[in-house]
Amino acid sequence: MAFDEMKSSDGGVRSPYQAYENWLLSVPPDLLPRKNEQADALFRRLGITFAVYGDEEGTERLIPFDPIPRIIAATEWKRLSAGCCQRVRALNAFLKDLYHGQDIVKAGVIPKAHILGNGLYRPEMHGLDVARDVYIHIAGIDVVRTGESEFFVLEDNLRSPSGVSYMLENRAMMMRLFPDLFTRHHVAAVESYPDQLLKNLRSVAPAACEGDPTVVLMTPGYHNSAYFEHAFLAEQMGIELVEGRDLFVKDKLVYMRTTQGPKRVDVIYRRIDDDFLDPDAFNPESALGVRGLLEAYRAGGVTLANAIGTGVADDKATYTYVPDMVRFYLGEEPILANVPTWRLEREDERNYVLEHLAELVVKEVQGAGGYGMLVGPTSSKAEIEAFRARILDNPGNYIAQPTLALSTVPTLVDKGIAPRHVDLRPYVLMGETATLVPGGLTRVALREGSLVVNSSQGGGTKDTWVLEDDPC
Amino acid sequence: MLSRTADHLYWMSRYMERAENITRFLEVANRMAMSAGRDRAAYWRPVLTIAGGEAAFAESYGERSAGSVIEFSVLDPANSSSIYGSLRAARENAHAVRSVIPSELWESLNSTWLETRGLDGPRLRDQGLTSFCEWVRERSHQFRGITYGTMLRDEAFHFLRLGTFLERADNTARLLGVRATGVKADSTEADADDQMHWAAVLKSVSAFKAFRTVHGDNLTPVTAVDLLVMRDDMPRSLHACLDQVSLILGKLNPTAECARLAGAAHAQLHWGRLDQLLARGLSRFIADFLTANNALGARIHEDFLLA
Repeated sequence: MAFDEMKSSDGGVRSPYQAYENWLLSVPPDLLPRKNEQADALFRRLGITFAVYGDEEGTERLIPFDPIPRIIAATEWKRLSAGCCQRVRALNAFLKDLYHGQDIVKAGVIPKAHILGNGLYRPEMHGLDVARDVYIHIAGIDVVRTGESEFFVLEDNLRSPSGVSYMLENRAMMMRLFPDLFTRHHVAAVESYPDQLLKNLRSVAPAACEGDPTVVLMTPGYHNSAYFEHAFLAEQMGIELVEGRDLFVKDKLVYMRTTQGPKRVDVIYRRIDDDFLDPDAFNPESALGVRGLLEAYRAGGVTLANAIGTGVADDKATYTYVPDMVRFYLGEEPILANVPTWRLEREDERNYVLEHLAELVVKEVQGAGGYGMLVGPTSSKAEIEAFRARILDNPGNYIAQPTLALSTVPTLVDKGIAPRHVDLRPYVLMGETATLVPGGLTRVALREGSLVVNSSQGGGTKDTWVLEDDPC
Repeated sequence: MLSRTADHLYWMSRYMERAENITRFLEVANRMAMSAGRDRAAYWRPVLTIAGGEAAFAESYGERSAGSVIEFSVLDPANSSSIYGSLRAARENAHAVRSVIPSELWESLNSTWLETRGLDGPRLRDQGLTSFCEWVRERSHQFRGITYGTMLRDEAFHFLRLGTFLERADNTARLLGVRATGVKADSTEADADDQMHWAAVLKSVSAFKAFRTVHGDNLTPVTAVDLLVMRDDMPRSLHACLDQVSLILGKLNPTAECARLAGAAHAQLHWGRLDQLLARGLSRFIADFLTANNALGARIHEDFLLA
C-alpha cells in the first residue's frame, strides 16, 4: 500500500489536510467536477497549452489540471527546502570544481573516466570563470515521497527545467476557483518567483556590462513544447523574449535587433540546449542559435543562464555521486537521500539488474520526459526482453532503481475522488545564495496505479500548497 | 523593441483588419446580388480583390458562384487571405508576441480562432453569412477596444495601429475601386442601380448615417467618394487612415524615409481637392493610391522591421 498524504493508515485524516477535508464535506458533491470544467475552459482560452512531439493530430494540448490541492505542512517543507538548496549548492560547487581543478577527482570521490567519458562534459568550459561562480541559476529537483518522513530525490534537472509556469498558473486558477479555501488556509505565496529570478539574473551580469544590465529570455520559438512558459516568464519579468535570429555577436558582445537599431544584451536566460546555442561551436545544423555566442561567452561579454555544460551534473549516472558531493564540498550530511541506484556500467550491479528487470525501473542515463525508460512491474514480458537487448547493447547508458511506492494524493477522476501517485518539483534559484519559493509543481499520474507522472505520458498537475503554520 | 516583435504586431493587426474588411466586401456583394435580376455571380467578383485574388480562386474553384466565392473567401484554409486564413495568421502572430500584448488581447484572438476553426460549410449556412460577418466584426471591434483601452502608448501600440491603418487604407481603396470605371469629378448624377451600389458600399463601412449627416439625400458617386476619400473625420476614409499613419510614423522616427512617403501621400489628401484628384478618373486615382500604399508598406518594412 502506498502512503496516502491525506488519509492515514488508521483511516483518519493527516493534519495538513484536516481543514481541507472539512471543507470538502461541506460542499455539494458536484462542485469539484463543475469547477474542473471551468478550469478546463479557462486554460484553453488562456492558451496554456503544450505541444507534444510526434503528435500530429493535436499539436497543442492542455495539461490536465486537478482541482484538489497537494498540501505540505510547514515542518515538512522546512526540511525539503533545506535539502533541495543544499543539493544545488553542492552541485554548483561540483561544476565549478569540475571545470577548474577537479579536486573531487583527485580526492578519488568520482572516477576521472566518468567525467571525461561523459558526452555532456564541455571542454570549452574548462578554466572559464563565470559571473559570481554561478552555474546553476535555475534547478528543478524532482522529489518523491514514500512515507511519513521518507522523501527521496529522484532526479536533478540542471539544464533548463520547465514547469514553473504551471506552478504559478495553477495557483492563480485555484484562487479564482476556490477563493474561500484560501481564507481557511494560510498558503505560502509563490508569486514572487519571477521577481526573484530577475533579481538573480541581473546580479550575474558580466564584467563587460555597462550600466543597467539587459536580461533577455531566449526561446527556440513558438513551436517548442514549452513556448507558453517562455512567453509567460518573459512577460512576468518584463524582459524581451528573443529567438536566435533576433541576436547577433559583434566584437565578442551580443546585440539584439530592435526597431531603434542594435541593443546590447548582458544576460541570456536561455531555454535552449547547449548543442543549439551556437552553430559555429556546437551543432552546425542549428538554425536556432547565434553565431559567435560561445566566443562572446568565453570572453566575458555575456552571461548564459544556466551556464554551458551543466548537463554533466544532472545525468542519472552522476546523480549517484551527489550525496558524496554534499559531504565533499559542504562538509554536511545530505538532508535528502537519493533513491538507491544501480549503475549498469558495473558488472556486478548489471547482473543483479538483468535478473530483476521485472521489479525495477530502468532509465537512460541522459533521458528525460519519461521517454526511453522501462517500468518493470507494469511491462509485458516482450517489452522487458526488448529492453534487455537494448541494455546489453550499451550497458553504460542505463541505471536502475527500485520501483518506489510513490505517495498518493486524492484526485478527481471520472468516478469521483480517488488516490493517485504524485511527485514534486520545487525550483531552486541561485544568485548570491540558493533560494526556494515555497511551492513547486506537483505532477500526478492520472491513470489508476500508474507511476509515470510526465505530462508527455498522460500526467496532470496539481497546485502545491505549503502551509505557513502547522495546525496545532 | 525587437524588430521581429514589431513585425508580428504589425501583421497581427493587418490580418485582423483584413478579416473585418472581407466581411464588408461580402455584405456589399450579398446586398447587391439579392437585388439583382440576373448575372448575380458577377456581384461576387469584387470580394476576390481583397480575399485572395481572382487567379488563385480560378485555379481551385473555376466557375464563379455565390457559394464558391463564399467558400473561398470565408473558410478556405488554403487561402491565406480568407477570413479563416486571416484569423489564423492574426492568432499566430499574436502567439509569437504574447508576452508583449495584453493577455486579454491574446485570449480574445485565441478564442476567435478556436471558434472559427470549428466552423465548416454546413455550420456556416446554418448560422447564416450575415450573422457570421457580424460576429467577425464584433471580434474585430473587441480587438480594437482592448488595444485602445488597455495598451500603453508605446512602440508596441504604434506598430499595431500602423498595421490597422495601412490595411484599412488599402481595403477602403479597393472597395471604392469596385465600381470606379467611368467615375469622374463631374459624376454628380446617379441612376437607381448606381445609387443602390453606393448605398451598399456606404452601409458596408457603417458610413450611411454619416453620409446622410454630411451630404443629405444627394447620393452620387462623387459625394460617396468625397466621404470615403477626403473627409478626415470619417474613420475609414483614406484621409483619416493617412492622418494616423503619418502621425504614427512621425512618433516612431520622423526622419525615416517611410515617414516622408506617408507625409507626401497625406498632404495630397489634406491639401488637395477632389475634382483635381479625380481629373483622370476614379479608377486611375485608386490604382495610383494602391501603388503608393504598397510602396509605403515596403518602406516601413525596410526602415523598421528588418533592422
